[in-house]
Amino acid sequence: MKIARKPMKADVPSVAMGDIAFNLLIFFVILARAQDDTHVRWEPAKAIGVQPNSTSRVSVVIDTDGKIHLNGRPIGEVQLAGAIKEMLGSQPEGKRTVLLKVHREARAERFEPVIEAISQAGGEMVHVLNQETKE
Amino acid sequence: MRPRRGLSKLLVEPAAVATGDIAFNLIVFFLVCASTQPSTGRRQDLPSSEKTKQEQQNKSIEVSLTNSETMLTLNGDPTKTTDFPARIARLFSQKPRPEDRVVVVKSTQDTPYQHWIHITSQIQDAGGSITIQREEQRTEVVGQ
Repeated sequence: MKIARKPMKADVPSVAMGDIAFNLLIFFVILARAQDDTHVRWEPAKAIGVQPNSTSRVSVVIDTDGKIHLNGRPIGEVQLAGAIKEMLGSQPEGKRTVLLKVHREARAERFEPVIEAISQAGGEMVHVLNQETKE
Repeated sequence: MRPRRGLSKLLVEPAAVATGDIAFNLIVFFLVCASTQPSTGRRQDLPSSEKTKQEQQNKSIEVSLTNSETMLTLNGDPTKTTDFPARIARLFSQKPRPEDRVVVVKSTQDTPYQHWIHITSQIQDAGGSITIQREEQRTEVVGQ
């Protein structure tokens, strides 16, 4: 008489799935942070006729304290043009977009040199703004 | 005496699989909440400095901004910001060539960005292009 072997169940422990997903997520979040500027505090100005932004590899922020950040990292006014030029490299026209995010109360003494630096570096400047609504 | 049923048997542990899912959903929630930055804007092209110098030799339009958000100076005339779109449109109507429609924007150091972008947007919408002249540069010109 043949004794039927009891089938063995070999499941992958499903507890680990959550942990793996969690760790992967943290990994990608940290990786994304390297070029991210979401931690920089600024309030956008409002303007008429704003359009959806194209994606860009370069973003410059002037925060609430008037400090300049290039892709989330603080940078001096003097180094800005060179750093942007290096980042844009030999990108063709149309792919040289630089997003400019200026705090609405920033003064001309802070934002004018930045605009000039982007222009000098050959960047195609896009001011990040909110749509102005007429009340 | 009847023995009481052990309490430890009644405690039911939550499924450990769920904790991972909860953590995942929490992270996604906070990431979505954190990314509230606007994704709209305005493109602005500044002419190159050489081109600007050339155009400045011609009679270009000059707009001076200060920290007053109700007044500005257009070619030396004090103008209300509410009247500005009509006045700039009238000036542009006398200049059919786009290269003549370059507006030199001069701002005092305390001009707020909100005011600056508001006015320069109106210039662009009227068909003009802008070039900025900074205060330090103006000082150099005066010294010559």
